[in-house]
Amino acid sequence: MTTSFILGMLMSGLKLGSIYAIVAIGYSIVYGILRLINFAHGDIMTVGVYMILVLMNKAGVPLFASVILSMGFSVVVGLLIERLAYRPIRDASEEATLISSLAVSSLLQNILQMVFSAQREPFILPTFLTESHKYGIISLSLINIITFIVTAIFLVTLYFVLTKTKIGIAMRACSENMKASRLMGVSINKVVMFSFAIGSALAVIAGLLLAGEYKTVYPTLGFVPGLKAFCAAVIGGIGSLGGAVAGAFIIGVAEMLFAGLAPTSMTAYRDAFVFLLMVIVLLFRPNGIFGSTEGERS
Amino acid sequence: MKKFTKTVAAVLTGAMCLGLAACGSADASGAAASGTSSGNASAAASGDVIKVGAIFNVTGDQSSLDTPSQQGFELAVKQINEAGGINGRQVEATYYDGQTDTAVCASNAKKLIDNDGVLAIAGFSDSDFAYAAGAVAQEAGVPIVFSGATTPDIPDVVGNYSFMTAFGDNTCAHAAAEFLYNDLGAKTAYVLTDKSMSYTTNLSDFFMERFEELGGKVVLQDYFSSGDYDYSAQIARYQQQGGADAMFMATGPDDASTVIEQYRSAGIETPMISGDGWDTDIWSVAGDLANDNIYCCTHYSADSDSQAVKDFVASYTEEYGNAPENAFAALGFDAANVIFAAIEACGDDITTDNIRDNLENLKDLECVTGTISYSAESHVPDKTIVVTQAKDGALTFVKNV
Amino acid sequence: MKKTRLIDCNLFRLLCFVIIPLAVLVIFALKPKSYVTGIIITMGIYIVLCASQNLINGFSGMFSMGHAAFMAIGAYISAFFTLSTNVKQSMTPGLPQWLINTQIPFGFALIIGGLAAAIVAVIIGFPVCRTKGHYLSVVTLALVVVVKAVIDNQSDLTNGSRGIAGVPAKSNIVTVYICVVITLFVMYRLLRSAYGRGLIAMRDDPVAAQTLGINLVTKKISCFAISAFFAGVGGGLWGHYLTTISSSNFYFMKSFDIVEISIIGGMFSMSGAIVGSALFTILPEFLAPLEGGLRLGGIKLPTMFGLSNIIMAVILILLIIFRRQGLMGTNEVVLDTWFSKETYLSLFKPEEYRKLANVFRKKEKTD
Repeated sequence: MTTSFILGMLMSGLKLGSIYAIVAIGYSIVYGILRLINFAHGDIMTVGVYMILVLMNKAGVPLFASVILSMGFSVVVGLLIERLAYRPIRDASEEATLISSLAVSSLLQNILQMVFSAQREPFILPTFLTESHKYGIISLSLINIITFIVTAIFLVTLYFVLTKTKIGIAMRACSENMKASRLMGVSINKVVMFSFAIGSALAVIAGLLLAGEYKTVYPTLGFVPGLKAFCAAVIGGIGSLGGAVAGAFIIGVAEMLFAGLAPTSMTAYRDAFVFLLMVIVLLFRPNGIFGSTEGERS
Repeated sequence: MKKFTKTVAAVLTGAMCLGLAACGSADASGAAASGTSSGNASAAASGDVIKVGAIFNVTGDQSSLDTPSQQGFELAVKQINEAGGINGRQVEATYYDGQTDTAVCASNAKKLIDNDGVLAIAGFSDSDFAYAAGAVAQEAGVPIVFSGATTPDIPDVVGNYSFMTAFGDNTCAHAAAEFLYNDLGAKTAYVLTDKSMSYTTNLSDFFMERFEELGGKVVLQDYFSSGDYDYSAQIARYQQQGGADAMFMATGPDDASTVIEQYRSAGIETPMISGDGWDTDIWSVAGDLANDNIYCCTHYSADSDSQAVKDFVASYTEEYGNAPENAFAALGFDAANVIFAAIEACGDDITTDNIRDNLENLKDLECVTGTISYSAESHVPDKTIVVTQAKDGALTFVKNV
Repeated sequence: MKKTRLIDCNLFRLLCFVIIPLAVLVIFALKPKSYVTGIIITMGIYIVLCASQNLINGFSGMFSMGHAAFMAIGAYISAFFTLSTNVKQSMTPGLPQWLINTQIPFGFALIIGGLAAAIVAVIIGFPVCRTKGHYLSVVTLALVVVVKAVIDNQSDLTNGSRGIAGVPAKSNIVTVYICVVITLFVMYRLLRSAYGRGLIAMRDDPVAAQTLGINLVTKKISCFAISAFFAGVGGGLWGHYLTTISSSNFYFMKSFDIVEISIIGGMFSMSGAIVGSALFTILPEFLAPLEGGLRLGGIKLPTMFGLSNIIMAVILILLIIFRRQGLMGTNEVVLDTWFSKETYLSLFKPEEYRKLANVFRKKEKTD
């Protein structure tokens, strides 16, 4: 295995990881506050991408405007879901919310399948974004660079929001102790809505980058990346944004290295590998690599 | 609430059982039939109408193959009815959606046989569903003709009531190997296989078998699972390997364009060939990259000189407003005509067994996708493979193998 | 005197839950090729699957999404023991020779399939016990992914993604419903035993349960194994019904379907498994004409494929919000009827008939 091969794999892993990272941030925010695994997160991503597709192709709206409009649309969808399917059971057991999110996920996928078809639709972004440029052994396209930058920007912005703004601090408070926050006058509903809004908007961006890189969309597009992002958040430490991003890159690189280095007969095991990785991490560090080591998994 | 639930439960359980029983014993009514067919004559007495059924996976992953197949089938039904039917009897076709789910396919097959009383069934482009529905048909003694399934051992597994319209994967892959070796002069090959589909794993095996028989050498085999959208690992491995003279890409239709796009974008210029899975819109993602040295072994070529093809393309375009999307449309059309030919040979004595026998004795039926004959030993037609090349957004004819 | 409710009368229960269903079963057992029979068989298989899902979700508090994996294991392993030698020789040549040459009766094959699934459950019991809630669910999902990957890649043993066709069609109404009755009976007795009570204690308050001397780890693993066993049996029944099995039949959606049924019917009640399965198998049948595009008073509705999935998902959400215990709640009315002597004896007791008559008498009697 030559170094250029490994470096190439590393690079691909980082690219993949950056996409997972954006999704993972969204997951992490919602989970941190609500302790809710939102299986539907990946599907909101798909909805957003389809929206962009429709706006661009059918209505001829330019790319940038489509993205903004689609983000708005997904935020609305996300808020609706929160209001209708999650808020009524907010105080219920964990299983209830899990099931509800699964049901919503199934609902979204089926609706998308009904409205569009189950077939893959091409999703072509303007070439200046997607063509690869070679820098020595590394090949990157503008989209990849944008992805990295976007991830970094989000991380920084969110960090700022969480530490310096009122709503951000409220979010962290809720994440630590919802009852106490409520007693302190924090409007839980507002905080939850805000986090869902952020999460949904992020999901759309992630979807755009994912679809742009691989150029197809289909109704189940978001489901597996959503799960992998969840794995990322778990590995990195649920509730910790930095951890989620780190976890995402770890998964991206690990997946790529596995796909590249494992004997070819094992390549098809890559998804399983990611999950197994998560299980192993969970066994030894139930709170994630960057989470605390004490206490039971909450 | 407690009393409510108990009564609900009791009533539900009982009522559903009864409801099912009533539903089942009733004849094919509106509750059973679905489908959007064109040109179906309404049944007068059952003796005047020939009932056939078709199950296609118009929703789900198989829909890119099965929707054109169903449209081809419907076209055939319409044409034959307009021509006066078979021996004067109109054909009435019932269609069900298999939903790309084997259980639904099996259950629909039962519906067709039990509720709708069809004399023959057609459908499917993939062996999983063929097996499921085929088992039902075989058990009930109803002939079933698979339009697009290409696994060569299907009739052996399912039984003597099953027939295939398409060539077997073995013939197809062998043709690909021969084309690469003889026509492109490729001595080494790279094989990429989708491990999650039976169609692709079969195709690769047959290809490698033939290629090595001819004297070629497979330098690298790689795998992926359908739905993996990232091929950078495989591409990197290929590049590290040093390349080959030609590539055999055993992928399903959904992954075709993505694979082409990624490999070509990475600068790999090697000619690629695949089986009929690539008879689909490979330009969707890959765009112009797909016009570069891409070959596909399929059932027919839309620009072929054969009159049958020309007529088919013309009438399909007229009926549906666009040219046949892929060869599966032609296969659906042919499956219908195969059945009709067999029924015609029955004369007035139309029974499922007679139809089966006549199918088995079918010889040299001129179809869009070639000449179809069956025999007692083989329910897989021995057809020529059409090698096509992707040019300017369409598959164009290269040669017959 | 409290007015007697119809549902409390043993005779009525006998009629509703024993006699009528039995009659239906017998009618269709005599028509094995009928399309309705197929639906009834499918329903029965789902009942078995759902009962095992209820055990683990509702009664032990471990929310497992891994049923598809256990079904797959059960299906493949039981098929290994019933397939003919020819088929095995051609499709799964990697199997040990003694296995290729063996065929055993269906019942035993099912049991072995179930045991295999249970063994796998015990093996992954360790991570399962260390995790709770959401994490447990995701770990079990991981199992589904891993099992599918193994099936697809070990083609010598499983014919890979090609799947195995030609599985003998041994699942008919009789075999399936015998399994249904046995499964439900086992569940019923289990839940009413000390083991079952311990399980429920563990679900409701693990710490308190521990103080009572209940070993959480063994309980969790054994419960998981039992549930896996029946899931494996269900998988075996499924495989022998469809006569073809492949890894794509046993993926996320299948797990989710069973969870859906379990919750809609009621996680906390085995009778819920019956109601949920009935709904799940019959609803799509009624909706089929709608999905295909029905002509409604001159207007042709568009084809709405997937409608039944959507409706089920919506019902699920509504139930989760408004009635978490599902349609049946903790009601065990069906099983209570089946497995208690008094139901059957009530045929011979005149006071039961009087009770029944009382129900229909006018409400003037307040005493």
